[in-house]
Amino acid sequence: MNYRDVYVIGAGMTKIYKKAPVPADELGRQAIYTAVKDAGIAPKEIQSIFIGEMGGLSGSVCFGQRVCGTIGLGGVPMANVESACSSGAIAVHQAYKDVATGRCDVAMGVGVQHLSSSRAGGTGLAPDPRDPEGIQGATMAGIYASRAQRYLHEFNATPADLALVSVKNRRHAALNPYSSYQQPITVEEVLNARMIADPLTMLMCCPNADGGAAVIVATKEKVRQLGAKPVRIAASSLTSGIFRNDFRDMTEMEITIRCSQKAYEMASLGPDDIDMVECHDAFAIGEFLYYEAMGFCEHGEAARFIRSGGPDYGGKVVFSPRGGLLSCGHPTGCTGAAQIVEATWQLRNEAGARQVPDCKAAITHVTGGGVYGLDNAACTMHILTR
Amino acid sequence: MEEQIIYHPDFFVIPEGGGKPYLIAFQCEECGKTWFPILPYCPNCWSEKFKQRGLTRGKLYTYTIMYTPQKGIKPPLVFGYVDFPEEGVRVGAQIEVDAESTKEQLKIGMELEVKAGVIRQDDSGKDIISYKFIPAHIGGSEQ
Repeated sequence: MNYRDVYVIGAGMTKIYKKAPVPADELGRQAIYTAVKDAGIAPKEIQSIFIGEMGGLSGSVCFGQRVCGTIGLGGVPMANVESACSSGAIAVHQAYKDVATGRCDVAMGVGVQHLSSSRAGGTGLAPDPRDPEGIQGATMAGIYASRAQRYLHEFNATPADLALVSVKNRRHAALNPYSSYQQPITVEEVLNARMIADPLTMLMCCPNADGGAAVIVATKEKVRQLGAKPVRIAASSLTSGIFRNDFRDMTEMEITIRCSQKAYEMASLGPDDIDMVECHDAFAIGEFLYYEAMGFCEHGEAARFIRSGGPDYGGKVVFSPRGGLLSCGHPTGCTGAAQIVEATWQLRNEAGARQVPDCKAAITHVTGGGVYGLDNAACTMHILTR
Repeated sequence: MEEQIIYHPDFFVIPEGGGKPYLIAFQCEECGKTWFPILPYCPNCWSEKFKQRGLTRGKLYTYTIMYTPQKGIKPPLVFGYVDFPEEGVRVGAQIEVDAESTKEQLKIGMELEVKAGVIRQDDSGKDIISYKFIPAHIGGSEQ
């Protein structure tokens, strides 16, 4: 099948809050409002809508309809999508598919999450307690810490190297008015922070957050009609985890390797063409493993890569220019859409003080879901170009 | 004494008469892949025929010590993934070691044995008994 080219015509998001001053549905409406105004279209031009939110944590069934109803967006195909942290990215993926396949000319994907009202503080986000590892007490931090422990055992890397990810992403976040955390931190502060799951300290784990983000996509004709700066979705790649009980290499992110190969193939691009990446840095070890899984350095070379400034401004590729999940905060179902908003701004040269110089191609990447036997339950990647 | 709940009796066996407790992995008779715990049919080939493989002693692949665990579990909690090379299966579970010298006692690659013990409390505060691991030199049969 021949797919049509798809472009981002509107991008909008709320600030990422430690605790939002408005409820979840209002975060969604604020994000949609800014995206519609950014696109310069009439709200009723949107022909299909997808809303991502993790696990119905807002407490509402048909959450998307609740968000959209009172702003007059009903009457079109609308669906709520859920795959934990990947939810918002999958919402954009669905909107992309509607336009790519000719189902409609203008579609919208939204991600929303209000974690501060729906999760108890001081507890670790954990796999389902019905899972064999869930009942045994594993948390998401514990699983990533196990990856980190093995990585440090196999390769030339230390906890201080992992801390470099937290320090870098906080430095980037300091220039981002949308991020939750802007106070600079040092390697010593990261290493001396409270231990969550050895070797990951609190500053190597992303904080809970609240936020909303919306992305409106459309055909090339629509972009021309609007006279907008064209930001093309060169790839929208979605895959799911494969159940295994054998000896998975936990230092290799198998689902991300598969998803990125597909994305590079769709976009006819490779790692050398990419200027920035927003990845799923829920834990500092994540960025290490994603440098490698996406082909920016060899397996086992992540520590050397970050020590030499490779994933930073002035290096090979800028990882997490908005501050990543580690310093923006991680409003789970919102994050995937928020990353695409950031990539759009960077490609339009509208990212202010944190602008990646001459940004031509950007990757967004978000996995999701701790399900027994799966590397991750979901992985969603987008490659955007100008 | 509070009532105790044994979790997963269908793949965790505590022999009567004091034998060492063991886990059961399920090897598909059609494609040979091994699964843990029990599944209705093989995820790889959908065969319903399995051969049971007992798991008693494995090697530590990786581990962590969690200081912010789930509700119902007192920190610190040692959790690790244990490989059973002959059977071709990996199991993630709690590891019982002395909390004060945990890091000295844990080495990737060390041998661990299956044992029975309290893994957490349920919502009503009752102990849940299930499998966990213990360093092999201490011995999984000790209760």
